[in-house]
Amino acid sequence: MRWFWSSIQILSRDLDNYSTIRKKFNLTGKGQGGLIFLHSSSHKLLLATLAMLPFFSAVQAAEDLDSEQAFFLEMPVVLTASRLKQPLDESPSAMTVIDAEMIRASGFRKLSELFRLVPGMYVGSQNGHSSFVSYHGTTDNYARRMQVLVDGRSVYLPPFSSVTWDNIPVLLENIERIEVVRGPSAASHGANSTQGVINIITREPGILAPDQLTVAQGGNGVSDLSAMFGLNSSVMDQRLSIAYRADQGYDWSLLNDDNRTRMLSWRGNYHPNAIDNFDIQLGYSEATRGEGVVGRASSPFRDTQSAYDYQQLTWTRSLDMAAELRVNYQHSYVRYDDLQTHIPESFRAHRHDLEVQHISQWHPDNRLVWGVGIRSEKAISAQMFVVPAPTLAQKRVFAHDELRIGDAAVVNAGAMWEDDAMGHSNVSPRLSLNYHLVPNQTLRFGTSLAYRSAATVEEFGNTGLIADHPVWAQGGVLPEKMLSREIGYMGQFPDIGLTVDTRVYADHLSKVIFVDPVIFGAVYNSFKNMYQVDFRGWESTLKYRWNEYDLLTFNYARQHASCASDGLPTNLWHPAIQAGYSELLSGCPKMVPVNSGSLLLDHRLATGLQLSAGYYFQDEVQVLDAQYAQSPMHRVDIKITRAFGKRDEVGGGEVSLVVQNLFRDSHTEYSSIPQQGTPNLDRRAYLLATFRY
Amino acid sequence: MHRIALVRWLVLVCSLFCFNTIQASPLKVALALSEEREVYLAFESALRNSLDSRQEIQILPSGTAAQAELIVAIGAKAADSFSGSSIPVLNVMVSRAGLEKFRRDSHSESSGIYMDQPMERRFSLLRAALPQTKSVGVLISNTSPQLASAKQLSSASGFRLQIQTVSTPDQLASSLSALLADSDVFLVLPDAEIYRSDTIRNILLETYRQQVPMIGLSQNYVRAGALCAVYSTPMQIADQAARIVSQFARTRKLPDYQYPQEFEVAVNTQVARSLGLTILSAEQLRNEIGERP
Repeated sequence: MRWFWSSIQILSRDLDNYSTIRKKFNLTGKGQGGLIFLHSSSHKLLLATLAMLPFFSAVQAAEDLDSEQAFFLEMPVVLTASRLKQPLDESPSAMTVIDAEMIRASGFRKLSELFRLVPGMYVGSQNGHSSFVSYHGTTDNYARRMQVLVDGRSVYLPPFSSVTWDNIPVLLENIERIEVVRGPSAASHGANSTQGVINIITREPGILAPDQLTVAQGGNGVSDLSAMFGLNSSVMDQRLSIAYRADQGYDWSLLNDDNRTRMLSWRGNYHPNAIDNFDIQLGYSEATRGEGVVGRASSPFRDTQSAYDYQQLTWTRSLDMAAELRVNYQHSYVRYDDLQTHIPESFRAHRHDLEVQHISQWHPDNRLVWGVGIRSEKAISAQMFVVPAPTLAQKRVFAHDELRIGDAAVVNAGAMWEDDAMGHSNVSPRLSLNYHLVPNQTLRFGTSLAYRSAATVEEFGNTGLIADHPVWAQGGVLPEKMLSREIGYMGQFPDIGLTVDTRVYADHLSKVIFVDPVIFGAVYNSFKNMYQVDFRGWESTLKYRWNEYDLLTFNYARQHASCASDGLPTNLWHPAIQAGYSELLSGCPKMVPVNSGSLLLDHRLATGLQLSAGYYFQDEVQVLDAQYAQSPMHRVDIKITRAFGKRDEVGGGEVSLVVQNLFRDSHTEYSSIPQQGTPNLDRRAYLLATFRY
Repeated sequence: MHRIALVRWLVLVCSLFCFNTIQASPLKVALALSEEREVYLAFESALRNSLDSRQEIQILPSGTAAQAELIVAIGAKAADSFSGSSIPVLNVMVSRAGLEKFRRDSHSESSGIYMDQPMERRFSLLRAALPQTKSVGVLISNTSPQLASAKQLSSASGFRLQIQTVSTPDQLASSLSALLADSDVFLVLPDAEIYRSDTIRNILLETYRQQVPMIGLSQNYVRAGALCAVYSTPMQIADQAARIVSQFARTRKLPDYQYPQEFEVAVNTQVARSLGLTILSAEQLRNEIGERP
C-alpha cells in the first residue's frame, strides 16, 4: 500500500499548488482581478479598482509583443494515432458506442447495467452487488468470454477470469464513451476477447471541466456521493475522483446483499514536450458486501470484504502525425475475504502486464499496428488452491493492418499469437472488408478466430474436501475456440437524422469448458472441454434524431443457439452425470433469449427540462448455473432532469428523479438460490443532484 | 525653352547621381531578430539567400543597424525596438494585431508583411474543405481585429457565425463547450490570449470530443490535430520581403502593409477520417483556393 499513500501525498501537495496556480492566473491579469487581496480589507478599494479595469489591460503591451506566438506555438501532437477513433463504418467488427449522453439519459447507477443498451448483451445479477455481463449465452455468473478494458487496462482478473463489475473504480459521470466490440477481436484487443470487448474510455484530464459533486438518495437504501476535481497546467493535467456508493440490494426476505463501496482514482497526464505523453492512473476501491441466503445453513447472513487497486503508466511518443510508439505497464490487485462463515474463504490475485505497441502509416493508404506483450498472473488462495497455482507468464505478439483500396474499400487484416503458459499457443487471425457502396452506405464482411485460455481455477483449482462444492481441477483443458463470420450493413441518412447498423452472424464456439464432476471417493468438480455451440442471429441498432431536442436509440437482437457434444464427462457412466449432460445439451437453446432489446428516448425541452425513458425487454433465458430460467422480462425506467444555471458550467448543475421499473413489471433476476424463488427488481426511485463549481 | 532645358539638365544630373549612388553604394539593410528562435532564424537565412544575389543590396553585419538605410525587423520584439527609429522599417513575422499597434505608434516610414492569412483566403479554404458547413464557431478574448471581417465573410458565405467571448481563463472550458455544441466548424482566430501553449491541448481535445473539426493557423496546428490550415512558409514570406527590399532600393519607397502573397495548405487526413469527413487533398485545396502566383 505504500505506493498508495505516497500518491496521496503527492496529490495533496498538488492540491496545495492549486490555489497558488489560481493566484498566478490572477496575477498575470487574466483572473477575476485580485483574489489575492481578498484577505486584506484595506485593499478593498484597490480590489474594486482592479475589477473595473478593462480585462487584459495590465498585460496588454506584453501580450501584443508576443502576438505572433499564436502562429509559432510549439504544439504537441494532441490527437495522436491511438487517440483517434476509427469511424464506425470502417471498424473491422460490429461496434456499439454508448456515449456520455446515453449514460446520462439511461438513469442507470451501475456500470454493468449500461450494457442493456447493447444488442445481444445479457446483464445479470447474482444479488444486489455482484453483476455480470455476457454476450451470446454460454454464461454463468462468472461471465468470462469478453475482454473488459478501462482506458486500456484489463479488469478481467484471475482466478476466475471474470470481472467484478461493482468494484471497478470508475464513475459513470467520468465516462466519455464505451465502445463495445460485438464479436471476437483478438487481433486488436488481445487475449480473451473471445466473444467481444468492452472498452471503457474515461474523460481525459486534459478536457477542461468544472469540479463537480453528485449526490444520490433514494429507495432501497440508495445513498451515493461522488466528487471530481480537475487541475490543469501547461505540462500536467490531473483529475481526482472519489465516490461512495451504497444500497440494500434486492430483497431482504431472500438475500443479504447490502453493499457499500468506496472508491478513489487519480489520473495524471504529463506532457513535458511536444512528442512525449505520460498517462498515469492510480485507483483503489474497497467494498463491504452482504452475503447469505435465507434458510441456507451453509450461507449465513454475513459481511464480506473486497478490495481492488491498480496502477498504470502509459508512455506515448509521437513519431509523426500518424505514427507512434507506446509502452504500457499495468498492475491490478484484487483481494476478497469471506471470513464470517463456517468455511472461510479468501483470495488474492495479481496481474502485471507490459506491452509495447507501434503504429505506423507507411503509406497514405496503409496503417500498421504491431506489438508485443507479456503478462504475469498470480492467484493465491489457501482455500481455492490447496496446491498453490503457478504464476502464469503469458506472452503475445500481434499485428494489424488497415489497407485502403481506392475510396470505397477498407481491408483489415490482423492476427495475434499467444502463449498461455499452460502449454498452449494459438494464432487468432481476423480478416474483414468494409465496402462503401456509396458514401454513408457500407457493407462489412468479416471472419475471425479467437481463443479463450482456461481460467486459473479451471486448470489449477483445488479446494480439498472441506468446501461446500469441492473443486479438484484435473488440468489439461484446452483453450476454447471461437470462429465468427458476419455480414453487416451501416447506413447513415443525415438528411432525416437516421443511422442504421445491422448485422447477421454465425458463430461457432467449440471446446467449451464446463464443470465435470469427477468421483474420487467423493464427488469433486473438475473442468473439461465438453460441448460446442452454434450461435446464429441478427442484431440491429437504429438511432433517430429527428430534431435537435430528441434522440431515439433502438436496439434489437434475435438469437438462436444449438449445442452438440465436444468431449464427454469423465464419469459418463453415472446416471446423474449422464442426465445432467444431456440436459445441458438439450437445454442449450434456452441459454439465449430469442428476442431482446432496448429503446431509449431522450427528449429535451427548451426550458431546461430533460425527459428520458428506457424500455428493456428480454425473452425467457436460462443462465447455465441458474436455478431457474428467468421468465420474460420487460421494464420501463424514466428520468426527469431539471437543469439549473448553465448546466455544464461553474455554478450550474441538475436535479433528477429516476424511477426504475416504473410500472412494476415482472423483472426477475438471475438466481442460484434453490427453492426460494428469484429476486425481483421492484419499482425503485432515487433522486440525483449534481452541482458544478 | 530655357526652363525646359534646365529641367532636362536637372533630370539628367539627378538620374546620373541616383544611378551612381546605386552603383557605388548599395542599399544598406540591417536584419534585426527578436530573438534567436528557430522560426526567426529560418526566415533570416531565407531572406539572406534571396538578397545575396541582388547587387543593389548590402546586408550589414549585426549590431550596425544605426548605419542602415532600411531595417528588416523580424518578429514583434524587433518591431517594437525600432518603432521609434527614424530609419525606415520593414516588419515581418508579426501578426496583424501586433503590427497595427506599431503602425499607430511609429513615426518613421514603415511597412510590413502580416503573419496572418487574409480572412478571405481562410474562408475560401473553409468552403473548399467543408462545403456542408452551416455554422462557424469562433472564440475571442477582446475585440479581435479579425472579427469584423469574419462576420462580414460569414454572412457573405451564408454561414452562421457563433461567437463566444472568453474574458477570464476559467471561462474557456464552458465557453468552448457551449460554442462547439452549436458549431459545425471551429475557426481559430489569431489571439494570443486564448491560444497558448497551456491551453491549446485542452482546446483540441474538446473540439475532438465534440467531433467538430478545427481550422488552424499554421502547420503546427494541423500536426497537433487541426483538420486543415492555410499558411505561408518563412521561405515564402522571405521572398516577398526580398521583393519589397529590392523595390525600396530602386524607389526609396515602402509599399503598404500587406498579407503574404504565397501560401500553402496543410490537411490532417487522419483526423479527417476519424471525424468521418471526406476532404480534398492539400494539393487540391491549394489549387481550389487560388492559383499559385
